[in-house]
Amino acid sequence: MSTHYHEWEKAPSKDAVRQLCADSFPSGAPESWRLAESTAGTLSVSAIEAKELIAALHTLSHHILFHNLTAPEQILVLFPKSFHPSLKNLITKIMLEHSPPWRNEALSNQISLPHLVEMDWRVDMKTASDSVSRMAVPTCLVHMKVEDSSCLRGSGALSSVTVELSKETLDTMLDGLGRIRDQLSVVAGK
Amino acid sequence: MLSIGQLVDMQWKLGMAVSSDTCRSLNSPHVSLLLKIADTSGQISQRSFEMTIAQFQNFYRQFKEMAAVLETV
Repeated sequence: MSTHYHEWEKAPSKDAVRQLCADSFPSGAPESWRLAESTAGTLSVSAIEAKELIAALHTLSHHILFHNLTAPEQILVLFPKSFHPSLKNLITKIMLEHSPPWRNEALSNQISLPHLVEMDWRVDMKTASDSVSRMAVPTCLVHMKVEDSSCLRGSGALSSVTVELSKETLDTMLDGLGRIRDQLSVVAGK
Repeated sequence: MLSIGQLVDMQWKLGMAVSSDTCRSLNSPHVSLLLKIADTSGQISQRSFEMTIAQFQNFYRQFKEMAAVLETV
């Protein structure tokens, strides 16, 4: 942690500190001059000092997240000994409060295959075709929306896939899904 | 008219993310599926995607509902 914490002596409300901890977390926060300038305004420090503060808080929050630190003692030791004690406690408390949502965010932003975003389905009855004039064959139509892997993650671009399943295919598929479910119970039990 | 392919195969994998650059200890399970789809000319295309466990449970439930409906039809 850097030694540039003299600017904290001028720190305003608890809310401002809370907001700063939240704003420093996202990737890109340490690089943002816009954030540095608005922080400089709030804390009455220079933009450069604000940028250093944001970078330090960013490093701290990500260190806590990476090592999954959950006890205040584990976080308090990370501060320089000369650090203002009640501010240290406040920042620690804020970091701990934010840990669960930050961890969930990290889990959902992991590198992965495109995610299934939406699925809907319909059961149809095939009553005739060009080759068979009368029949009653039930069939399933499934429409899935998947994140488009050719576009940037998080861009919201989706691609659609519609498939038809016969009863037989559906039964085989359910069989496979059932095995996944069984494996999940095995894994959960460990 | 939208072309609708026939689902011909489904492959699956249950994975456990161990660690990442953001979290040293993840222990996060996820399900990956690969669907093989045949179009009317017999050409096979494939789509793969991933689901969290919660999403998978929902996915499984929907397919069970489909099967239940098929029984009544």
